[in-house]
Amino acid sequence: MAIINQATKELQVKVVYYGPAMGGKTTNLVQVHDHVQTAAGNKGKLVSLATSSDRTLFFDFLPIEAMTIKGFKTKFQLYTVPGQVIYNTTRQLVLRGVDGIVFVADSQYEKMPENVESFQNLLENLTSLRMNLAEIPYVLQYNKRDLPNAAPMEYMEFLLNNRDVQVPSFGGTAHKCEGVFESLNMITRMLLQKFINQSAPQYA
Amino acid sequence: MATLPQLIEEDIQRIDASLNDFNAQADATVALVIDKGGFLITHAGQAGELDLTTIAALASGAFLANQTIAGLVNEENFNCTYQQGERTGLFIVNIDEHCLLVVIFKAVTGVGVVKYYASAAVQKIARQLAVAQAREPGKGFDLSELNVADPQNLFRRK
Repeated sequence: MAIINQATKELQVKVVYYGPAMGGKTTNLVQVHDHVQTAAGNKGKLVSLATSSDRTLFFDFLPIEAMTIKGFKTKFQLYTVPGQVIYNTTRQLVLRGVDGIVFVADSQYEKMPENVESFQNLLENLTSLRMNLAEIPYVLQYNKRDLPNAAPMEYMEFLLNNRDVQVPSFGGTAHKCEGVFESLNMITRMLLQKFINQSAPQYA
Repeated sequence: MATLPQLIEEDIQRIDASLNDFNAQADATVALVIDKGGFLITHAGQAGELDLTTIAALASGAFLANQTIAGLVNEENFNCTYQQGERTGLFIVNIDEHCLLVVIFKAVTGVGVVKYYASAAVQKIARQLAVAQAREPGKGFDLSELNVADPQNLFRRK
C-alpha cells in the first residue's frame, strides 16, 4: 500500500501493469520512460529483469516523481509483471503492496481467451494477497488497436469491463505511445482521488 | 491487507538513529529500511551515487522470491538473504510483517559482524514501527489543493 511519510514529506504509490504475455506491458513502461516530461532528476532508470529474448522474467520497474502537493512529493513506482502463465508466483510477488493497476489487454481476436484468463488470474492473485479488485483503482487499456485483426472495442468492453462497476478504458497502440499517457494519467487521478477521500476528516 | 503505518518525523529520527548506530558498529556502508512492496522508507550511511530507489525495489523482490522458495522446500522462514561479492556484500533481513533492513557493506567487513549487530538494530526498528502502528496519527494527508480533474497537473508527454 502507498507509503505516506510525514517526515520526508513523500507519498509513494505503486502501480502495476498486468495482462497477458506479449500484450504490451513493457512497451508501456518504455514509452513512459522515453516520453515523459519531467524536471531533471525526477525520472529514474527503467530496470528490466528480462530473459535473453527480452521477455520479462521478474518485473520491469520505473520510478517517476510527479507533482508536489502542499510540500508533499508524490512518487510513482511503475511495475510490470511477466505475462507468461508459468510465472504466476512472480506476479503474486510484484502485486504485493499494489495501489493501482493498468490492465493491458491484447486486442487481437485470437488473444481473447488469454485476456480473460489473465484477468481471472489477477482476481485470484489479489484474493491470495487478501486484496479485492473492487477496492483497488484500475483501468483497462485495449492495446494493439493498429492490427487488422483487432476486435471491436465494444466486444472487449463486454469481455473485460462487464463487472458491477465499469472502469475507464482506453484503446492503445503502445509502440506509437497512443493510449499510454491516457491510461497512466487516469490511474494517477483515480489513486489521488482515493487518497483525498481517505484523508477527508472523519466525524463520529 | 494490513498496511505500513503513517510515519512521523519522530519515527524516522529514531529509526535513523538506530541505523547510524548500526552502521558505526558493523562498519556498514549504507543501511536502508524498506517496505516489502519495494518502497524506500529511510536510509543512513554513505549512499554516494547509489540508486537507492531501485535497490529497494530489487531487494524486496529478491527477498520475497527467497521467501517463496522457503515455502516450496517446506521451510517456515528464510528470514535473511546474503550476497557475497568481491568488494561489496549485501545482507537483507526481515524486520516485521511489512519491512526489511537492507545493508550494503565492504566485503572485508565480513557478514558475521553485520549479522550480529543487525539483530539488535532490527529489534529497535521493529519497536519503533510498532509504536507508529499503535499511534493514531491525527493529521491526515491533505490533498485537497489538487484538482484531479485537471490532467495538466499529472504526467505530460514530451
